[in-house]
Order: sequence, then C-alpha cells, then structure tokens
Amino acid sequence: MQTFLTEDLAVPPPEPPRPPTAGPADWVRRNLFRSVGDGVVTVVAAIVVGFVVFRFARFLFSTGRWEIVRTNLKLFMVGRYPADELWRIVVALTAVAFVGGLIAGFVARRHVVAGTVAPDQPVTRRLVALVGRLWPLVVGVLLLLFLSSSPGPWLTAAAIVVAAVLGRLAGPYLPRRSAVVLVLGSIVLAAALVWFLTRPVGWDRWGGIMLNLFLATAGITLCFPLGVLLALGRRSKLPLIRAVCIAYIELFRGVPLFVLLLLSAIALGFFIPTWLEPPGLVVRAIVVFTLFTAAYVAEIVRGGLQSLPKGQTEAAQALGLSPVKTTFLIVMPQALRNVIPALVGQFISLFKDTTLAGAAMGFLDALQVANAATAQDAFRGQRLLAESLGFVMLLFWIGCITMSRESQRLERTLGVGTR
Amino acid sequence: MTDTTTGSTTTAAYADATQVAGSGEVMIELDGVVKRFGSFTALHEIDLKVAKQEVVVVIGPSGSGKSTMIRCINRLEEHDAGRIVVDGVELTRDVRNIQEIRRETGMVFQQFNLFPHLSVLDNVTLAPRQVRRMPKRDAEALAMELLEQVRIPEQAKKYPGQLSGGQQQRVAIARALAMKPKVMLFDEPTSALDPEMINEVLDTMIDLANGGMTMIVVTHEMGFAEKVAGRVVFMADGQIVEVGTPKHFFTDPQEDRTKLFLSQIL
Repeated sequence: MQTFLTEDLAVPPPEPPRPPTAGPADWVRRNLFRSVGDGVVTVVAAIVVGFVVFRFARFLFSTGRWEIVRTNLKLFMVGRYPADELWRIVVALTAVAFVGGLIAGFVARRHVVAGTVAPDQPVTRRLVALVGRLWPLVVGVLLLLFLSSSPGPWLTAAAIVVAAVLGRLAGPYLPRRSAVVLVLGSIVLAAALVWFLTRPVGWDRWGGIMLNLFLATAGITLCFPLGVLLALGRRSKLPLIRAVCIAYIELFRGVPLFVLLLLSAIALGFFIPTWLEPPGLVVRAIVVFTLFTAAYVAEIVRGGLQSLPKGQTEAAQALGLSPVKTTFLIVMPQALRNVIPALVGQFISLFKDTTLAGAAMGFLDALQVANAATAQDAFRGQRLLAESLGFVMLLFWIGCITMSRESQRLERTLGVGTR
Repeated sequence: MTDTTTGSTTTAAYADATQVAGSGEVMIELDGVVKRFGSFTALHEIDLKVAKQEVVVVIGPSGSGKSTMIRCINRLEEHDAGRIVVDGVELTRDVRNIQEIRRETGMVFQQFNLFPHLSVLDNVTLAPRQVRRMPKRDAEALAMELLEQVRIPEQAKKYPGQLSGGQQQRVAIARALAMKPKVMLFDEPTSALDPEMINEVLDTMIDLANGGMTMIVVTHEMGFAEKVAGRVVFMADGQIVEVGTPKHFFTDPQEDRTKLFLSQIL
C-alpha cells in the first residue's frame, strides 16, 4: 500500500542542489531552454513579442504623427469650453484639490490616532510613496504638460499641487468631529462648482476628457447610494418594496445602456409635459448612467450582504442594536469591504461607458474629439485615427489604472487585522 | 410529555423544571413554549423557570432544541405559542419589549460572532454607546474594566482576527457584559474551541457565575456543570426529559435516554 501510493503520486526526485555560483546564463538555461520544446516556445514567443514591441515603438517614436494631439490638446481636454472662461476650470480643480487634501489629512490623522499608521514619516519618504502610488497619473500629467505649448497648464498643475499640499497640511488640524461637515461641505462645493462652471457657457460647450470625467464622477457618486438602497430594498421583508426593487433592477439590467442613452436623448420629449423645460443632454446622460449603474451596484452589494455569516446580524441584535444600526454599523461596512473589487470594476466600466454618451447624444467628449480631429483641414485624409484614438486610450487607461490601484490600496487598508 | 418532565423519582427539591431554587425570585419563565420550523416542531411546550442568580446548564443530543430554546429567550427565534417572561417583561411582538429584553440579556455564541471590522475595544463599547448612549470615555473605561475581568486588557487595540479562539470568546463575553445584562445566555460557548483553550473560557464563566450572574448555559462540559450549576436540564427531541442537580445526573439519572446520553459524553 505504502509503495503503491508513493509510485502512484509520482513524486519527482528532489533536484540536485544548485551550484552556488549560478549566474545569468545558468538562469536562462534552467528557465528558458530546459528542453527542446522549451527552447522552441521561447524562440517563437521572443520573435512575436519582439515584433510587436518593435512596431509599437516605431509607431510611438517614428512613424506616429503626434501633431494631431499636440494641436488639439485643448479640445481633447476640455472640448469647446471658451478660452476666456478656462480660468473657471482652474479654480474648480484647485478647489477640489484643496478639499481632497483636506480630507486626506483629516483621515490620515484619524489613522494615526487609531494607531494603524506610523506617524512622523520623513517628508521625502512620503513623497516617494505617493509618487509610487500614483505613478500612472503623475506620468500622464507630465506627458500632457510636455505636449502643451503654453504656460497655462503648467500654472494650473502648480496651483493644484499647492492647493492639495495646503489642504493636506491643514487637514490634521480640523476638529475631530468634522467628518459630517466635510461630507456635507463636499456636496455643497460640488453643486457650487457645477453651477460655477456652467453658468456662463451652459452644458453645450463642455467636452473632452473633462466631460467624460464629470459624467463618471457624477454617475458614480449618485449611483452608489441608490444601489445600496436598492440592495437593501431587495432584501426587505415588505413585499411591495421588494417587488419594486426587483422590478427596477431587472428592468435596467435587461436593456442596453446605449439604447437607454439614445432613448433619453431622443424620446424623452414625449414623456415630459410641454410647459416643463426638458433637462439638458448632460443631465439626461447623468441620470441614465446613475439609474443604469445603480442596478448593477445593487446586485453587487446584495452579493456582499449575502456573503456575511448570519451570526453577525444575530450578535448585533442580541446586543440590542436596532435593525437600522445593525445594517449600517455591522452589516454594510463588512459587506461593502467584501465587494470593493467588483464595485470598482463597475465604476471603471461606467467611466469607459461615458464614451457611449458622446456617440448617442452628440457630445464632443474625448472619443468624439478623436474622431473630429482627423476631419480637420490640417489632418484630413492623413489616416491619423490611430494617433488620436491611441491618445484617448491613454487618457482612459490612466484614469482606470488609478482607480484600480487605489481600490487595491483601500482593500489593504480596510483589511488590517481582519480575517 | 408532562409525565417525563415531572418524573416522580427525581430529587425532591428539583422535582420539575418549573420550580426555582434559592430566593425563589424568578428571572426567566418559559411557559408552554412551542417553536416550529415549517412542519418540524423544535420545541414541544417547554416549561422552565430560572431563579435570580441561578446557573442552569442545558445538555442534550444535537437537534434536541437546546439552542432553539435559548435563542427564543432573546427573540433570535420567534416562538409560536406559550409565554416567555424575562425579569417581568413578557416577550411579545412589540418591538419595544423585544429591545428591552435584548438589552437585559447577554448572549455568547458558539462561533463568537465578534465584529471583524472593529477593534476589540470597539466591539465591547459598541452596544453601550449605541444602545445605552453612554459617552465614549465612560464606555471605554467600562470596556477596559471588563477586558480586565476576562483577563485580556492588553488585546484591546487588536482586531478579532488577530486573537486565538479562546481570546475571541472571552472578548465576546466582555462584549455581552458591557450591556450590564441581568441574564447571560451561552450557546455552546466552548464547542468551537481547541481543547487547550476551553478552560480559559470556562474559568471566565465560573467567575461570572460566582459573581451572582443568572445564566443559562448550553454545554456538554459536565465539569463546569458540577462546579457552578444549580440545576442541569436534559433535553431530547424538543422536550425537557429530566431535571436535577449535577450530582443527580452523575449518580442517579432516571430516564433511559438520559443514561444513554450521559454514557456517550462522559
């Protein structure tokens, strides 16, 4: 029995101890050319990879004609936002950076107080850590700055960095109970900034990646609470609420986003009484993204709720916590933490889907700019779509990779000490 | 059924489960409690009275309704018939009654059920702060006192996932005590523990019993029963089969089912 088992498992004989002076040649032999088959795979793969890298590098540095991006940089960034009013965008970004820094500083201080983060790290190390954390964003911004042909973007970037640093420095000195004020303040600020940015120009001149970012940010912030409520509603004991939530979720998950966007752009007029001014296209797009993504968020959150052992609710109930407190203090924090990857995946998806809004509603978003630029007099008929689309891809990739990396970091932070 | 409960040969002082020991003041009263899961009847008209400061140990094979019985007492399960009264408050559909009884009743679970996203300290302070509206400072002082009592004050800043099973269960006891309950319910508190950790939890429970806490403990630790239990209740098939002192169960069990069960666990 014993021998049979050993033979059956076919345990490979232990490898002879490696010579202590194994150099790179030895590594190559062991890992790339151990057998004839290995060697063939290695050579073929090397040829394919080499070809792709060569063609890509040649496109990037030699054959690619990046003037189309350089010339249209403003269009790619902010669409047809009037040049005289660009300062409004600078002010808005600076304000957002300051509040972002403020919140980061406030949160950091709470981590220090809670003992989960070591205080008093040297500034240089913190900077290195921050750049390592946000390198795709940093590289992307630097690339944009070097592509730009005016000092404006440099000054904007400088203002943003200064505002963020000031906020980060001031954050730790906020009173300890400022969390609610910060959240409410951020909401008020967001509304004020939207008003500030649209007042002189309206929605129609918004465009470029700014529009994509705005649609995504608005969609994400609005769909998240709605999705959480829908998830709770779907588990409600009240049949009516449950039925409404299920109907909503299944309806919105059952229709294509593009169709919803088209519908809201074209057919909304039929449903709104004539005396009521129909909302602008951007607002309609935000509403569609919110309603659509909320259905998906609801299902993701429901999955998280179901993943929790029943004992958690029972323990909270046994302590006398009310159902509302049980949900929001015990169940929801754990459920949301469990579904961060899926949730962020959904948000990334929403960000990329904002290009559909451009196609369906005729905004000049980043993708439409890429298209339109190739039709300009200077570039018409020169087959530059690869360059302009490639640039749009890069912009989206920077946004998505940053979201993805930040979500992984959040997962790690929240995972401290838990199972 | 009543015949088995009031078996004529059990020790006179504990002739049936509805009699109480000591001062005679009743803390918990179950009167004809019935619980059904679908067509399965988990509890058949359970009658039980527990006196103030009494410790009752409930034993019985799995599926006999022990856990269901104590889970009915704080309404984790809703009983279908009969009366449950805790410290003079009857458990009804009224949410206020349920909340009041839950505030006065601490529960310790087999799987600990600590909140993994909160530190040990926050686990203990959560209920006093949220339910009793105790200021943070007071709640933390109380929590440290209780953690001291269960002998793990040094783990206060850690998270449940960083503790051993025995430590987690002691935190769970401290968490339940933080509500200053009048009754503690233990649902197989040592069954999920490694053998070497059982005693640290039992010692904590013995301290608690000696301190005068009213306790109902579902457990098979007969050593524990011998040390602190006023009465042992043997349940089978959703009924109370036999009631008596621990000594009675060790020396003179009457019913065949009891004898069979004891021969299996002892």
